[in-house]
Amino acid sequence: MFLLAIAFKACVTRNLFEAAMLFGIFSFLSATLFVVLDAADVAMTEAAVGAGVSTILMLSTLAVTGHSVRPGPKGRQMLSAAVAVALGLTLIYATLDMPKLGDPTAPVHTDALAKHYIEVSPVETGIPNMVTPLLASYRGYDTFGETAVVFTAGIGVLALIGRRRRKDGSLVEDGKGEDATVEKHRVLRVVSKQLIPAILLYAGYVQAHGDFGPGGGFQAGVIFASGLMLYMLLVGIDEAERVLKPRVMELLIAIGLLIYGGVGVINMLQGGAFLDYTTLAHDGQHGLHYGILAVELGVGITVTAVITTIIYAFAGHMRARQVEGHGHSDAPEGAQAQVLEGEGA
Amino acid sequence: MYSVASLLLLVGMGLALWRALKGPTVFDRILAVNVFGTATVLMVSVIGFMGTSRDLVDIALIYALISFTGTMAVLRFVEYDEDRKRAEASR
Repeated sequence: MFLLAIAFKACVTRNLFEAAMLFGIFSFLSATLFVVLDAADVAMTEAAVGAGVSTILMLSTLAVTGHSVRPGPKGRQMLSAAVAVALGLTLIYATLDMPKLGDPTAPVHTDALAKHYIEVSPVETGIPNMVTPLLASYRGYDTFGETAVVFTAGIGVLALIGRRRRKDGSLVEDGKGEDATVEKHRVLRVVSKQLIPAILLYAGYVQAHGDFGPGGGFQAGVIFASGLMLYMLLVGIDEAERVLKPRVMELLIAIGLLIYGGVGVINMLQGGAFLDYTTLAHDGQHGLHYGILAVELGVGITVTAVITTIIYAFAGHMRARQVEGHGHSDAPEGAQAQVLEGEGA
Repeated sequence: MYSVASLLLLVGMGLALWRALKGPTVFDRILAVNVFGTATVLMVSVIGFMGTSRDLVDIALIYALISFTGTMAVLRFVEYDEDRKRAEASR
């Protein structure tokens, strides 16, 4: 009921900032729902993505494009409304086929494969959290594909909006206004400096503990990126770019995926199938554990690097606008920013 | 005891939600989202202790750590926005 109210309000409101805030609450609620349904890993993903990263991404989009809806032409509005309604009805129709919550005859409880995973996987793999081996081992190809999707998304953002370059190809590096404001917030600086190590450490815990509790590469990557983002917010993007070089981050996107694929190739070189971790050690189960850890590490690195890179890309645009706003920009930059604004609307 | 606690938390969440929907200023909404986040942290841990799975405390911890980042980002955005408006007005 709450979810419905929020979704409705978020669609109706024309102030996009308001909508972004409401989506924050929406995420909190859906995570609670996942917890109630006892889907700890999903809830953790929702917590990690919804609470920090997605809000930040939405807000940085707003900062680049401006934050009120401009009504488009009537025909196109009708078309998008029709598409949305049709999609919604299709989804509702699909839920009619779904078994009732807690129905003992639901396929989840009766399906042989699900039964096999639940009964055999803890014994076969020696990993108490059955989600982790399912994602990283039984369905290793799927997860490899997902990581590749994250990789592609990062590359796509870089290709679409990229990092700001001047006409002559040099990067826009001067951001004056962004850092100047930080000096004011002393309390914030102290508190955040205490919190950043805790967040990064916790990301490490989630990364390494994925075998035993909820967690794993995706969640850890997002949490780690949130810690880095807090650092960026704290010291300003320019300072952060000096510490975490954007070039290194772009390289790390590829390295994470390479780690994942590399593990598979090593498996093949050792005589197994692609991503057959049991070849990694003499004892098959140990090999499996090493393989899952390595693969999750690759996922974590890719996710962290992609998110950081996206934030850098957005920050570059914000900076360009800010420089323009303060009235000391060179002409081509201003023109570019206006073109971008036109595209965003 | 746990069910009473979760009910009370639900009421608190409802009140915060009402504030977030009603507005009227930006800061009302930010505060409402923040309160809602805190309530969620508590709710998740209460649910965790209600059942058998202690893992849920991990999730509550993530929320506690990360929603701070979110709130800070929102506040920085508001600040940045005000700056920009002022710059536009002075031009």
